[in-house]
Amino acid sequence: MELTIEEVRKIAALARLRLKPEEEAVFVGQLGKIVGYIDQLQRYETGSESDAALAVREADREAEDIPHECLPRDQFLANAPAAMDGFLLVPEVKKTGGEVVDE
Amino acid sequence: MSELWELSAEEVARRVRSREVSASEVVESALARTARVEPLIHAWLELFQEDARERAAEIDGRIRSGDPAGPLAGVTVSLKDNLNVAGWPLTCGSKILSGYVAPYTATAIGQLLDAGAVILGRANMDEFAMGSSCENSAYQITCNPWDLATVPGGSSGGPAAAVAAGCAALGIGSDTGGSVRQPAALCGLVGVKPTWGRVSRYGLVAFASSTDQIGPLTRNVRDAALSLSVLAGPDPRDSTCSSSPAEDYLAGIEEGIRGLKVGVIREIDASTFDPASARVWREALSRLEAAGAELVEVSLPSLDAAIAVYYVIATSEASTNLARFDGVRYGRRAEQADNLLDLYLASRSEGFGPEVKRRIMLGTFALSSGYYEAYYGKAHGVLERMRQELHAALDTADVVVTPTAPGAAFGIGEKTDDPLAMYLSDIFTTPASLTGLPAVSVPSGLDDRGLPLSLQIMGRPFEEATVFRTARAFELQASFRLAPEFRGAEAG
Repeated sequence: MELTIEEVRKIAALARLRLKPEEEAVFVGQLGKIVGYIDQLQRYETGSESDAALAVREADREAEDIPHECLPRDQFLANAPAAMDGFLLVPEVKKTGGEVVDE
Repeated sequence: MSELWELSAEEVARRVRSREVSASEVVESALARTARVEPLIHAWLELFQEDARERAAEIDGRIRSGDPAGPLAGVTVSLKDNLNVAGWPLTCGSKILSGYVAPYTATAIGQLLDAGAVILGRANMDEFAMGSSCENSAYQITCNPWDLATVPGGSSGGPAAAVAAGCAALGIGSDTGGSVRQPAALCGLVGVKPTWGRVSRYGLVAFASSTDQIGPLTRNVRDAALSLSVLAGPDPRDSTCSSSPAEDYLAGIEEGIRGLKVGVIREIDASTFDPASARVWREALSRLEAAGAELVEVSLPSLDAAIAVYYVIATSEASTNLARFDGVRYGRRAEQADNLLDLYLASRSEGFGPEVKRRIMLGTFALSSGYYEAYYGKAHGVLERMRQELHAALDTADVVVTPTAPGAAFGIGEKTDDPLAMYLSDIFTTPASLTGLPAVSVPSGLDDRGLPLSLQIMGRPFEEATVFRTARAFELQASFRLAPEFRGAEAG
């Protein structure tokens, strides 16, 4: 399938990305081409999860639940762009009008 | 006599432990080599020279006091920039993580340090490990030491170029769809993607969690086996890590492959390769036979779907894994933002580069209402089919071989405008990633331009030892010589 510019805008909003008009134009072409390629999947037969999958995921099945210390708060916050009194600081949370697409 | 920077990891560790040379001498030799070649290849994002010198002195001290120095004593390491080392910056090749300093050390890297390795610095990569050429780094383009006009492969292109050029004996990368094996192939190195769960991912920045694995890039098979023996093993901090203990992969590696069944995939049509790749591929099969292996035909009808499956599943996982980069908890925050949503949008849009945006968009699309079943659901169904086919092949054969990449290194800029063409570089590496199987890439020869080509060997889950044994027998037959020429350098 091909993608329209409206679809690209909708995907960008879901992905929390704001694209410039020139980016939108490039992505319409590139993503459309990639999705067109991926459409070939419809030709292939599918299987269901089997013992083969479990052969790889044998790990950790009986891992013990051992509590241990997590990263100290001050070390975590050392990487935060903004923090105050031991908390992350963010701008005011309010509705912005039309930017969010609910899906 | 060889310079110290030319020695294999195994030989360096042997000499350092036996006090024939000091770790400090090894590190100085590597740093001097790096100072000479780095202006040509641009493999490193940052060198930690003083840290490396201090660490080498510490190892030398340990050896003088008679304390155990570890199986990688004095081995120099080039680390991909998506692995946390406490106190060092980490960017993942992205502007969105500029300013981030790792608060802890990745488990596998801690094991490497405990084994006596010396990390020289952090090396370049495609942003968030998304790319097959290292051209998607937000910081610099790394050149292939064989021919500076070509790419080193990706996404672990920095460690690959550094190890091939002699800056370090060991590279550590991560492989999600081929990101260790493909750059290893393009730079003439051995590259390992272990079984999913063999190496802890604690401290590796996540891209696609169902396929991400940490793996080594080395100048020979024995070094790859030695370093995986150190990297592997259980980790209570990674619930996806296998509880089975690490193995000594050097034990039995020289036993040869007489009578081993090597699966050749019927659907691989060498007549579609360029002539040199086809010739080297056919020679590789003959060499396996010459080493005593029995070639058997196996079938993987879903091979042609691998790229489509991979780019749906990996991008879907990336779109969720990369949701954490929002300008709130770490990394770069947009300066102009009126409210929280605006902050998310501006920070992400300014911080991520084009390929990361493209993949997040693709994954978001594949997971979105109305398309989920047709893309993500279908991709998973085809993946399970591929898994059944590969496991059936590995019931017939002990290992399955393919070329690692469709051809040798391509020119810088050659595929940047056509993301799909770039994605197709991963055709042979993605099946082992998707199905979690171990795979090793080993150099197999040179193309007509004198650039390296490689053979990929895949094995059964957790049977890395058989894969290494096959790789070693093949390496002895192939007699490949790692001798990058720095073609295109204006001054020697």
